[in-house]
Amino acid sequence: MPPAGDVPPSGAGATRRRLMLGAAAASTVVTIRPALAATVGSVMNCEVPVPDPRLGAGKWIDGRGQLVDAGTAGSFRPPNRPLKAEDIRKAMQGANFPGADYETSRAYMAYIRKLQNGMSGFTCYQSLQMPRA
Amino acid sequence: MPVYRVDPPACRLSVEAEGMTLLYHRPSGITHVLLPPAPEILTALADGPADPATLAARLAVSHAIGDGDGEDAAAVIAARLGELAAVGLVAVAPGIGGRVAG
Repeated sequence: MPPAGDVPPSGAGATRRRLMLGAAAASTVVTIRPALAATVGSVMNCEVPVPDPRLGAGKWIDGRGQLVDAGTAGSFRPPNRPLKAEDIRKAMQGANFPGADYETSRAYMAYIRKLQNGMSGFTCYQSLQMPRA
Repeated sequence: MPVYRVDPPACRLSVEAEGMTLLYHRPSGITHVLLPPAPEILTALADGPADPATLAARLAVSHAIGDGDGEDAAAVIAARLGELAAVGLVAVAPGIGGRVAG
């Protein structure tokens, strides 16, 4: 246990920490790329929520995979539960999702293809696209 | 300057070691290694969406900004925000939803 004198002060009177901003051109972020699909079969148990609950809770999916208000003409009710990687893999080859018709399945896939870094399900979908050994 | 937002702190799991921050982003399942001032920017941005100048002001309250380049702080922070946005740790407000629509 450190001596009491080493306990940093806290509260309004605390010493401000020094922060070096550095140069604008100096990169400060390195991403550790996931290398899941080629090595771990269990990655097929991952799931993709449609839509990402942080972005579109209650939203429906239109034919181009964009989120629209519930009930919008030409849009589709999202699945009741996240889509399973194995079902997505089959859908990538043209199959329908369980319980969904052709148009709905294509809308879900359009949404999944638009997933970007930082969105729920992105890593799962990315892993499905990796070549498998 | 664009306004940025960040996911709630609960979306991130981070460990600090030897000046580096190892950060796991739960929604994407991706891990990043961050150097200052990137972790501090994420913390400051968690107080609410902000543009680089606003973030510089927030950081100046909680930190003694080094390098004596206060006039360029917003430019440095803007560069860091661009970097963090590229890997999905922050997004241009009104939110990632805009990226979906776009």
